[in-house]
This record gives sequence, C-alpha cells and structure tokens, in this order.
Amino acid sequence: MNLIRRSCTFLLLALGLMVSVMAYGQAAAAAAAPAAAPPPSAAELKDTAAKAPTTDQLKAGDPGGTITGTVNDVPVSDPKTGLTLGDTANQVGQNKIAINFVWTLVTGFLVMFMQAGFAMVESGLCRVKNANHTYMMNFFVYGCGLLAYWLIGFAIQMGGAAGNSNLGGLNSLSVEHPLVLFGKTWGIFGGAGMFLAGHTYDVGVMVIFLFEMVFMDTALTIVTGACAERWKFLTFAVSSVLMGAFTYPLYGNWAWGGGWLSQLGTNNGLGKGYCDFAGSGVVHAVGGITALAVCLIIGPRIGKFNRDGSSNPIIGHDISAVLIGCFILAFGWFGFNPGSTLGASANGNLRIGSIAVNTMLAGCTGTFGAILYMWSLKGKPDTSMSGNGLLAGLVAITAPSGFVSTFGAAVIGLVAGVLVCISCAFIENRLKVDDPVGAISVHGTNGLWGVISIGLFADGTSNYGGSWNGVTGSVTGIFYGGDGWGQLAAQLVGVSTLLGFVFTFSFLLNLGLEFFVGHRVSAETEMAGLDIPEMGQLGYPEFVFRPEPEVMTHAHAMAVA
Amino acid sequence: MAANTGQGRGFVTFLVGLTVACAGLAYFSAGFGKPLFGVGLVIVIASLFGFLKLKPLEGKPAQKASPTTMKLAGAFVAGFGWVLTLFGMHLVPSTGGRIVFALVGIAVSLFGIVYVLPSAFNKNAIWKT
Repeated sequence: MNLIRRSCTFLLLALGLMVSVMAYGQAAAAAAAPAAAPPPSAAELKDTAAKAPTTDQLKAGDPGGTITGTVNDVPVSDPKTGLTLGDTANQVGQNKIAINFVWTLVTGFLVMFMQAGFAMVESGLCRVKNANHTYMMNFFVYGCGLLAYWLIGFAIQMGGAAGNSNLGGLNSLSVEHPLVLFGKTWGIFGGAGMFLAGHTYDVGVMVIFLFEMVFMDTALTIVTGACAERWKFLTFAVSSVLMGAFTYPLYGNWAWGGGWLSQLGTNNGLGKGYCDFAGSGVVHAVGGITALAVCLIIGPRIGKFNRDGSSNPIIGHDISAVLIGCFILAFGWFGFNPGSTLGASANGNLRIGSIAVNTMLAGCTGTFGAILYMWSLKGKPDTSMSGNGLLAGLVAITAPSGFVSTFGAAVIGLVAGVLVCISCAFIENRLKVDDPVGAISVHGTNGLWGVISIGLFADGTSNYGGSWNGVTGSVTGIFYGGDGWGQLAAQLVGVSTLLGFVFTFSFLLNLGLEFFVGHRVSAETEMAGLDIPEMGQLGYPEFVFRPEPEVMTHAHAMAVA
Repeated sequence: MAANTGQGRGFVTFLVGLTVACAGLAYFSAGFGKPLFGVGLVIVIASLFGFLKLKPLEGKPAQKASPTTMKLAGAFVAGFGWVLTLFGMHLVPSTGGRIVFALVGIAVSLFGIVYVLPSAFNKNAIWKT
C-alpha cells in the first residue's frame, strides 16, 4: 500500500514537473516573440479613419481639394465591424468598373456627335436643291438604326459577348447560337438582349449597348452619302432599318460578339483570329460595301455620265460645310478608336494615348497623301479630295490603331490618302458607279485596307490582358515576326467575308426592296431637287438658285425612263 | 407624286410589324411568342405589298430595266468567292495554302462585284441612250 501510494505520488510529481517544464518552455518561447498584434492592414485602416477630416474641418470648405475624398467616403458593409479590407477591395473594384464605364460612355457620346459631321460633309458635297433631303437622311438614320438595334440588332451582334472584364463581365449576354462544322464550334449569331429586357436590363449591358449602337449608326450613315440626290426617303428608311437589324449585326457578331471570325485563332491557329480594333471592317467596310451594292441598283444621277461614258463633275454647294464636317469627324474619331478599349483602367487600357496619337497621325498623313497626289498629278490641291484623304486615313487606322506604332500609323494613313484618290477614279470611270461623296472609296476601299494592314503592321507590343480573342500573346503582323502570316490569313478571311457575304447579302436585300418599294425617285423629282417633293421644304428657302450648268439641262432629255 | 400619306402609313405598318415580330422572337419560348412572331411577319409582308401598290403612282425613275439573270449571276459569283475561301480553311492545313485560298476567293468575289454586276447594270444604262 505504501509502495502504491509512493508510486502514485512520484508519478503525480513527475507529471506536474513535466507540465511545468512545458508551460515554462511555451511561456519562454512566447516571451521571446512579441505578443500577437492585430493584422497591420486593419490597424492602418483604423489609424487612417482616425486621421480623416472631421465634419467641422469639411464645413470650413476645401479650396485646394486636399481633404475631399478620404477613407470616410468608402462605404462600410457592416457599421458594427467598421471599415474592413474587404470594404476597401470592393471599392477598388467599383472604381475600376466606374472608370471604364465613364470612359466608354463619354467616347460613345463623341462617336454619336460624328453624325453631325457626316451630315455636313454629305450635304456640302451635294447640290443645294437636295440639301434638306441629305441632312434629313443623316438625321433620321440615327432613329432608324437605334430602333432596329434595340429591337433585335444588338441581340444578334452582342447576345453572346459575355466575358468582358472591363465592364463587369457582361455575364447576362450569354446566348450565342453556334454551328458545329468539321468538328469545331463556330459562333453564328447571338440571342440575348432583345429590347434590353429581362436579365439584360443590366448596368454593364447598357454601356456596351450605347457604345456599339453609335458604331452601327456610323455604318448606316455611310450609305446615305453614296446614294444622295436620288434615293427615295421611304426606301432609305426601310433599308436603314434592315441594315441596322441584320446586315451590320451579323458581321459584328462574327468579329466582336464571339463569332466565328474571331475564333479563327482558337479553331484554326490563324494568329489571334480576325482582329478589328475599332471597326475598319465591321463599321466602315460594311458601310462602304453596302453603299456600293445600293449604288449599283440605284444608278447614277441624271447628267453624271455622257453618252460616250465620260463623267461630268457635279459640284457640291458648300465646301465650308465639307471641311468643318471633316473636322467634326476627326474629333469624333477620338472616341471611335481610343474608346474601343472599352476602359481606361486595367487590361492594358493605358494604351489609349497611343491609340489617340495613331489616329491623329493617320488622318494627317492621309490628308498629305491625297493633297500631294492631286496637286502633283492633277495640278490643284483639290479641297473635297483633301477632306476625303483625311477621312480615308482615319478609316484605315481604325482597325489597326490599337496594335501598331506611330510609324505604322503614318504609313497606313499615307497609303490610304493615295488609295482614296485612285479608288474614286476607278469607281467612277471604270465601273460607272456614281458616288456623290466618295463614300465607297473612303469607307469601303480603305476599310478593307485597314483590315489588311493589321496583318502587316501590328507590332506585337500591345497587351490587353495577355491575350486577344482567347489566344495568348499580342497581335503581330508579318513585318514583326511571330505568327504574322497566320494573322494576315485571318485578316484576308475577313476581307473575303466582307466582299463575298456582306456585299451579296446587302445586294440581295436591297434588290428585294427595289422590287417592292423602288430605290430611286422619279426623274421629275430628281430634276426639281428632292427637297420639295420628298421633304416638302427647301433647305435654304430664302436663296435664289442659279440655273444649273448646260450639261444638266441636256440631261433632262435622258430623264424619261 | 413623291413622299405622300400612303408612304407614311406604309412605313408605320412596317415598323409595327417588325416590332411585333421581334417581340414574338424575344418571347419565342413562352406560349404567346410564336403566334406573336407570326402576326408580326404577316404585318411586315402586308406593308411590303402596300409599298408595291404605291410604287407605280410615284412616277418613273431615270432608269431602264437591266437583265435580272446577269444581276443574280453577279451576286452568285460574289458569294461563291467567299464559299471558296471558307472551304480552303478546311481543306488546306498550312497557313500559306489558306492565304492562297483567301486571295483566290477575294479575286472571284471581286470579279462578280467589279465586272459582272456593273456590266449588268450598265447594259441598258440611261446615259447610253
């Protein structure tokens, strides 16, 4: 018994000793390191909140802006806990999206203002008896396009465009109707966003709708210039609605909405797939090619061509409107190209400065190209062609603006300025197509040139989130190595689609309208000028009109169909 | 007769029909979507025939008829060039071969656009008389 008692005592003592030694060791270890402090970030937040300006300080006014906008302006999710790191991170995310929203919206507003520029350029290049009608086409095309786009066009184009992290993800745009061909899936058209209703009633979707809509309207307005001075107002309206509802959105989906053209990189290994940063192809080539289709159907103006096929210049009534309109367009293009980053924060969007400078440079060299070509070959620095040179440079740089250096931009613009002069002469003298404003050459020919130039001049330095069209890396053309040849191939497929599909689709659609509605006004209306018969009012009712040149009066005999 | 009330009413009808048809498409999976789409389509077609009735009243344009077959042939050639390009993407695995097919397709489309179609439209051009 004594032995058991002694053993238990000994064991208890040993146990107690062990526990004491362990406790002492832990205490010693704990004493060696400082006591656990609250996480540094939480302490910093508390400290910053404590130092924030008080209400009394703010009441005294802040002329220097040094105490406005502080930690007190960060929303707190739980007043009991106070400001947390999570609150701060949420605010950072909101700020990124807000910056991108504001950028995209304001640049979209600039593009909308381009409608005024187009109106002035087109009307200025037309005769005074058609001024009201030409201005009205450019005015009403805005409404026609917007309605069609809201009804169905936006859904077709962007219905499956989810995944844009600049604008919060756009996750409700998640319906893309594909076609499975040769073992691969190809996006054909979208399906979410009709009437911007249901789950597409979303802040991010509203932003992208506005931005894409003003681009679509630019394409529609291009056609009005080419067909001016003889296009029936009714047919223009119906044609514009159908173009805004179907023609433009289809190609727009294929290039920008997750469709098959953009998938040429992931599906066929062709560079980064078809690239078109701001729309040389999607906007300008679609507009110019549709303009060519309608111009073929509508025919030339009375008096444009003589019996031997030679053409007569038909002078516009207001060259000052043309040049001011060109400047309005150049100003709006600062929204067109830099705005196509869809943001100014994250994902390489700080390249907006480069894009803006590329845009300016190409416009400048385009002007030089046209002026110097006309001056040295024809003897005069032709005013209207100079304006078209500026526009041609801007059109051509639209697609490559986000991918090229200033050198590339300058060369692209210069080539565009010369190309527009050659193209205008070819279309008028060889094809016998009458285009009063040169829209087919400015937008069609140079839109195609802009698409091709990506495959040549993209320099591989851009980085919009590490990939483009789902392919890792930067867009690179053949002059800069990488997969330049693959990129060029993808661009050529885009050109082929513009010429082969967009032209044919527009042509057949408008041929149908020719059957049902008729594109052209009567010969009597055309000779009188479209203002009174079509609009009921002259553009300049107090002006006294000079008689038209003799060649126009001779043409009256040709007016009987 | 140029712009007139008939045109205005016809355009309203066209827009109403298009809106109703699109509403039907938007709610296609719901019960009322399909009949709504059908009604909208009928209204659009009716508006087109309304335009057709008005057309002869609007006077003769300075245009002569051009051969329809040639116009459709030109459109076909333009579209065929694109089809050639697409098939080339599948038939040929190399980048060089695909570039060649794309260029051939572009050339065929351009033949239709800048040769066949202008020839069709200029055959009976008003300025030749």
